[in-house]
Amino acid sequence: MSSLVFYLLTVAIFFCIYCIYGWGLNLQFGLTGILDFTYITFVAIGAYFAGVAALQPGNGGIGGQYILGWHLPFPIPPIIGGIAAAVLAILVGYVGLKRLRSDYLAIVTVSVGQIVWTLIGNITPLFNGWDGLAGVPQPFNSVFQLDFNHYQWVFLVICVLFAALGFLIIERLTHSPFGRVLRAIREDEDVAAALGKNVFRYKMMAFVIGSIYAGVGGALTIAYIGAFNPSGFTTMETFIIWAAMLVGGSGNNRGMILGAFLVPVLFNEGTRFLPSPPGNPLLAESIRGMAIGLLLIFAARYRPQGILPERKTVFRLDGLPQGGEAGGDRLVPQ
Amino acid sequence: MSLLLMGVGFGLITASVLALASVGLTLQFGVTNFVNFAYGEFLTIGAYLAYFFSTVANLNIWLSMLLAALLTAGFSWLVNRVVIQPFLKRRAPLLILLVVTIGLSLFLENGVQAIAGPSFQQYVTVPGAIVNIGPMIFTGQQLVIIAIAIVLMTGVHLLLKYTRIGKAMRSMSDDPDLARISGVPIQRVTDLAWVISGFLAGLAGVVLAINVTSFTPALGSQFLFIIFAAVIVGGIGRPYGAMLGALLIGLVTEVSAMYIDSAYKTVVAFAILVIVLLFRPQGIFTSRGRV
Repeated sequence: MSSLVFYLLTVAIFFCIYCIYGWGLNLQFGLTGILDFTYITFVAIGAYFAGVAALQPGNGGIGGQYILGWHLPFPIPPIIGGIAAAVLAILVGYVGLKRLRSDYLAIVTVSVGQIVWTLIGNITPLFNGWDGLAGVPQPFNSVFQLDFNHYQWVFLVICVLFAALGFLIIERLTHSPFGRVLRAIREDEDVAAALGKNVFRYKMMAFVIGSIYAGVGGALTIAYIGAFNPSGFTTMETFIIWAAMLVGGSGNNRGMILGAFLVPVLFNEGTRFLPSPPGNPLLAESIRGMAIGLLLIFAARYRPQGILPERKTVFRLDGLPQGGEAGGDRLVPQ
Repeated sequence: MSLLLMGVGFGLITASVLALASVGLTLQFGVTNFVNFAYGEFLTIGAYLAYFFSTVANLNIWLSMLLAALLTAGFSWLVNRVVIQPFLKRRAPLLILLVVTIGLSLFLENGVQAIAGPSFQQYVTVPGAIVNIGPMIFTGQQLVIIAIAIVLMTGVHLLLKYTRIGKAMRSMSDDPDLARISGVPIQRVTDLAWVISGFLAGLAGVVLAINVTSFTPALGSQFLFIIFAAVIVGGIGRPYGAMLGALLIGLVTEVSAMYIDSAYKTVVAFAILVIVLLFRPQGIFTSRGRV
């Protein structure tokens, strides 16, 4: 197999995974208006738990030390990853979502991100500390016995299946009465509450479902790479997903697909060949971080609704729905 | 007992650093009513500017600190004018504003890293003679840090209590609409809030860098949530609350570090933040919350 095909397969796999990440974040922010500034932490928890669910028991030797080590077959690890991320989301949601302004949840998420990152790095018995997990078995490859190159195709099929399933579910949710309540909460929490909707419960559900997407995406990531450590979930990773969402179109799951292609795929791959001078080995990484930061600011400034904006339904006085595109400025009214 | 007092000594130093930082954050919040997630990077910028002045330009560390704080104040003013104001003019929603400040934080941290490199830096300073007060141990430098915090906190108090602009700030924080129709010059007060916030952030960044001895471009972002803890404990937007919050967080984290692994100091601060958010989200030193 040529190296170009190999490269394209890798890109395609990450594209699918970023779509899954994006839909989860989109449900949280785009649809509900929840500020999750540490989305990648839920990805990481999903990845770690899926990893230790798939690995053999740790022996503390070369493989390092970690909890569980259940050696479960695929697709059970992604389910465990999703559950783990959901549990963390429930805990964070209880602290951050209850009767507080949106800044508070943002503060809580930023703090949780820092704490989880430090704890996972420092407490080695959990997930092998700063070295992280390695040697996570590839799904089904004990059956297929393929080499890494040919296995790419198998994994791409797995990812496409997960992404397709994820898309179907998220689209159903978005256009269901549940999704309508979430949009109402985003536009005006008090109005939704006045209409008898339990705002906390709905926000919590959106937060948890979004985090399950993060956890499952993380599980796929660790299954593909086979390894994961704290350098894989820095703040920047969160904002690559955020930028993808804002550029593609927050509130629109199809826009999210476009965003996942434009930002993580084109942008990350395109900047891969920036120089890394010996005096400053992280220069390329820094420039990418600056660019993502600028992208967030400019997207928010000039096109907060994204390239493919959410189609908002406007109701006429006679009660019949009428398609229409609303301005992105009205994510949340003043 | 002497272990406890030793912890109190360290706590006073941390509280001083924290007080400068959290009063700066909370003042800006009080006037503008949104959290600046790039605030941690203001500290980082202050620390690196002082590094430039003291190590490259060979100036005295305290003079470097002052210059760094002034420049950070100017930078903070610029951030408000160039980055934030366009959004406010377009009446951008709060959510978008917060996304902008976090985007800015990513930009600034990586900007510092691109210029100064990711490796650890250290000021060339003399810690000064060791001073023992009971079981508490301070270096001369640390005593200066405590003194700076006391002077600045007194300054903020006098400003808020006795000057017209300080009263205007408090009025905007209590009720922005009422302040506006009462003729408070919103633009000028907002500018000043950002300038003071930046100045305090710059100072805090330098004393934090002195206190932790070696630092990277992540200095401010890693400290940010401890600032959040102090600010929220005191009631967000309330400068006096932030001072008390800083004292409480500083003392509790350092005293706890005497008894448990000091690597978990931040966990203690986080636990306090969570407990306060769960049971008294308006802050523990406020009678009635606005949140």
